[in-house]
Amino acid sequence: MTLKLGRRSFADDATLMMAIVNRTPDSFYDKGATWAEDKAFDRVAQVVAEGAEIVDIGGIKAAPGAFIDEDEEKDRVVGFVARVRAAHPDLVISVDTWRAPVARAACEAGADILNDAWGGADPELVDVAAEYDAAIICTHTGGVTPRTRPFRIEYDDVVASAVADTTAYARRAIAAGVDPSSVVIDPAHDFGKNTFHSLELTRRLDELVATGFPVLVSLSNKDFVGETLDLPVGERLIGTLAATAISALAGARIYRVHEVVETRQVVDMVNTIAGRRRPQRAIRGLA
Amino acid sequence: MRVAIVPGVPALRPEYASIEDPVPELRAAVAEATRWLGSGRLVVANGSAKRTEKAPGYFDDRAAAFDEALGAALRAGDLAGLDLSLAGELWADVAGLTALAGVRATEVQVDYDDAPYGVQYWVVRWQCTP
Repeated sequence: MTLKLGRRSFADDATLMMAIVNRTPDSFYDKGATWAEDKAFDRVAQVVAEGAEIVDIGGIKAAPGAFIDEDEEKDRVVGFVARVRAAHPDLVISVDTWRAPVARAACEAGADILNDAWGGADPELVDVAAEYDAAIICTHTGGVTPRTRPFRIEYDDVVASAVADTTAYARRAIAAGVDPSSVVIDPAHDFGKNTFHSLELTRRLDELVATGFPVLVSLSNKDFVGETLDLPVGERLIGTLAATAISALAGARIYRVHEVVETRQVVDMVNTIAGRRRPQRAIRGLA
Repeated sequence: MRVAIVPGVPALRPEYASIEDPVPELRAAVAEATRWLGSGRLVVANGSAKRTEKAPGYFDDRAAAFDEALGAALRAGDLAGLDLSLAGELWADVAGLTALAGVRATEVQVDYDDAPYGVQYWVVRWQCTP
């Protein structure tokens, strides 16, 4: 099925890079590197040059921290979305928010995707997506409150839970009027999950792909990589890329990343090995 | 009778297609020539694969002269008297040319004459009297 992300459509064998652009002073990986709006704007230009099809703009870090109200979140995100839209008319713009009022203002400013990392905490988010013909990312959090860390969460079967919750969310979005070709699911590694849960989701990602909804994975430099290898933020790229390779082999479609170039190479290499993509340019032995 | 001489390049085959075609001009020339050919005779041949150090067969300093002579004969529309005895050593695919023994062209058109990967390719159309 063609994947429709706001103003752009993509073939059903296309893999897409979604580059993270933080409008935050405190996100775990970049620690405020793009808090200044001009720095964030430069980051957008850079990831576009690196081949990212999507930017994911967020105004609130995922982890607990200073309370950011709706108005502050809008201040961080909405004007910036408008600026990016003006400079990059064809770029797919995603907004990382769980709040419907913020999503509405972002769509007015030109956003294409609502990336709801918190699994439908605001039930009206799907209505905003439907109203603006935006795409929606339906994530699995195990039902936790936004911006909380997992604490002793257990699942009978984390993958079954992810399949059930993301597809229920997806059906709710479609029922609300979101275009079925604009609904993406994301098992949300580390959200409401310990490292063992995130590893199992990676290992069994094919079960999410089998739902038929396009699957987004957000693996980049996360704690499950760090804990697996006992490495701090800043030294998790290789582990991230290994998880990326496994996800690509299982058939993930969208990769939410800090490092665009490295991820693109891994995803293309894996998909070509899997026979889903041609080599870029092969002449060895064929001249 | 129409004759088209084209190189047997595996990269032209659909199962070896890349995202970015490594032989776009050659592919276009072969397509044009075979369209023109209709039900005529298709001959598959090419020159030496030892033209450069990066060539599949590495560099052989006899390759250039061999290809020059073969190219001249193809352009002349007459292969009579051509010495192809080095073809095996020089990795030149000339077996198909035996089908042209005694055939002479009255009109010749060269659509392609290049060696982008150290292998000499020609795409040549011969219009022959029956």
